Amino acid sequence: MPVIAATTQLTCFGDGSRTWAALTDGRCGARPFDAATAARLNVGATYPIAGRADRGRAADWLATVLRAAAAEAGVDARRERVVVVVGTGLRQLADVERWALDDTPCPVDQLHFGSAVRAALPGVREVVTLANACSAGGHALALAQDLVEAGEADVAVAAAADTATLSMQAMIGKVADRPTARVRPFDRDRTGVLLGDGAAAVVVTPVERPGPRLAHLLATGLSCDAVHETAPDVGGMTRAMRDALLRADREARDVRVVVAHGTGTALNDPTECQAIREVIHADQGDPWVTALKGAIGHTSGAAALCGVDIAVRGLRLGAVPPVVGLGNPLAEADGVRLVRDHPVAVPGSLTQINSFGFGGVNAVTLLEPAC
Amino acid sequence: MTALRVRGLGVLLPSVTAPDDPSFPDRPVHAVDGFDVRERLGRRGTSFFDRTTALAVAACADALRDAGVDAGAQQPQDRIGVVLATTLGSFRSTSDFTRETLVQERPYLVNPMLFPNTVMNCAAGQSAIRLGLRGVNATVAGGPVAFLHALRYAADVLARGYADLMVVGAAEELSPHRVWSQVLTRGGGGAACGESAAAFVVGRDDDGSTGGTGTRILAAAAGYGPDGRRAEALSGCVRRALDRAGVAATEVDLVVTAETGPDDHGQFEAATRALGHRPRHRQVTAAFGDCDAATPAVGLAQLILNRRARPEKPGTTALLVAEGLDGAAAAALVRSPQCR
Repeated sequence: MPVIAATTQLTCFGDGSRTWAALTDGRCGARPFDAATAARLNVGATYPIAGRADRGRAADWLATVLRAAAAEAGVDARRERVVVVVGTGLRQLADVERWALDDTPCPVDQLHFGSAVRAALPGVREVVTLANACSAGGHALALAQDLVEAGEADVAVAAAADTATLSMQAMIGKVADRPTARVRPFDRDRTGVLLGDGAAAVVVTPVERPGPRLAHLLATGLSCDAVHETAPDVGGMTRAMRDALLRADREARDVRVVVAHGTGTALNDPTECQAIREVIHADQGDPWVTALKGAIGHTSGAAALCGVDIAVRGLRLGAVPPVVGLGNPLAEADGVRLVRDHPVAVPGSLTQINSFGFGGVNAVTLLEPAC
Repeated sequence: MTALRVRGLGVLLPSVTAPDDPSFPDRPVHAVDGFDVRERLGRRGTSFFDRTTALAVAACADALRDAGVDAGAQQPQDRIGVVLATTLGSFRSTSDFTRETLVQERPYLVNPMLFPNTVMNCAAGQSAIRLGLRGVNATVAGGPVAFLHALRYAADVLARGYADLMVVGAAEELSPHRVWSQVLTRGGGGAACGESAAAFVVGRDDDGSTGGTGTRILAAAAGYGPDGRRAEALSGCVRRALDRAGVAATEVDLVVTAETGPDDHGQFEAATRALGHRPRHRQVTAAFGDCDAATPAVGLAQLILNRRARPEKPGTTALLVAEGLDGAAAAALVRSPQCR
């Protein structure tokens, strides 16, 4: 069973510890668009990484989190076989967009993440980039664990990065009745999702490797709905949850904390509540459930690993942050123990992180405290 | 690599014929004779299958039946997956559909029912839909070495517990498009074009089950040697496959290549350099035509069929090798015991 030796993220609040602090304070990082942009996109706000006005390059944020996580874990890619698996939704689409909007030259040779990752971690063996929509980071983590357990890498880093592009936000605006000002996961009056800039990195190593051990990485369960192009499916969600439990050899009733996907959309939140009930409550479990997107927005391909970073901090600090933006829980959450207003103390225990992507690609990760 | 046990096989082998269609170049081809998708699979749901898809679905269905696995859309299996090898899917479907978009009246009235055939993973997807195989579904595109890559892929999927059984196979259809592309890229030389499909139900050798064909895939290895280093890459694959399987080179008593005839022995030479001896030699392309991604799959099927036809013969440890024009190389080590 591999361990997580280091983890961090980069969001509208800053690095992993700043993001944790903001969540526990109940802060919302949404920044309103100016009136003209809001009207044009039909989107009220976004959750930008500070200083993104320069270029907003996902590759730069990826390099930042990789350097920080590698330093924390004491990883030297020149001495160990290091593989980096990057999950992303839109990669460097922001560069192409800028090219289209104001003729800023597009660095065509840097539209992939390979050069940024190699510059951040000199000596890295392989850089694998995969795009699995909003569960990309979860799929990257599954592959990283496979590489370590199969002995193909001494260290595998699951990483993810995404920029909130204007074109993606315009698409969100197309399906919103009116501009949304903030994300309100699991709220009765939720008005839809907003994008956030985000990047995260999780260093996975065999348990025998000397160095920090922040958590046991038990398993990531994967599934594909094969039902609908965009609508979530409770069957697909429960299959991913059960696959994770089976692979981890754990019982659903023992899950104490769920970091939910919680997008604040009409369909995800009730469907996710039902899936949690069908798998965990049906097995006499009653976990605390939290969600990050009210505070940091939907960081797309990075969302799963942002959740893992928060989950690892929660395991070590014995606390679960509240669902920022939640006032009045939706009826379908009846019986689901949502963390509200303030953090709750939960001694480090079995923690589940959900991520569900468009097209029905699901990844559910299970973590336990490292002894 | 986790060793795989072959639990069942389905194969559609070609025979030599002269095409009676003027759009083919004037040369013999190897075709799967008398294959009719409606006869094999019924009319329902098959009318828009292209030939690659039809051959693949039929081979996968046969392999599952041979393995004694109940499969069908009515009884879906969440833990059985599919991985099929290909060169570029159905060249005919892709090229015909593209042509329609250029020659039809605006707004380009193409037949949307034919669109799914233009994607490379159509055969693997249709096999899963028709046979209710809801596990991992993948398509490995790698030309002549693709099937050996697919074996490795299946072994990884099973070793990591993403599925309990995998159907691993390859299918290539005969069409003027493929024959012309082979003729034009090889300057008129090379083997006759062939079509075929083969599929194998495989599980982990250590999963405690028994039965099936008795044949085991001990290891597979892939390599790459561009710029004239392909033979070297192939020798490396052979050494790695032996090493992973823990098999001595002297135990290999048969080398199965994708060579085209007596004048073509580069693969055998590269393999024997790594083995240090010259065992028996079988050339699949010479016998069944150039079936691209399906050639090594036909080689594996032939090993198992021979074993079934002559159970009294002693067991064999065979080395399957293949190489691509770009420098790709791959090898797999396969052991068939004597049947009792």
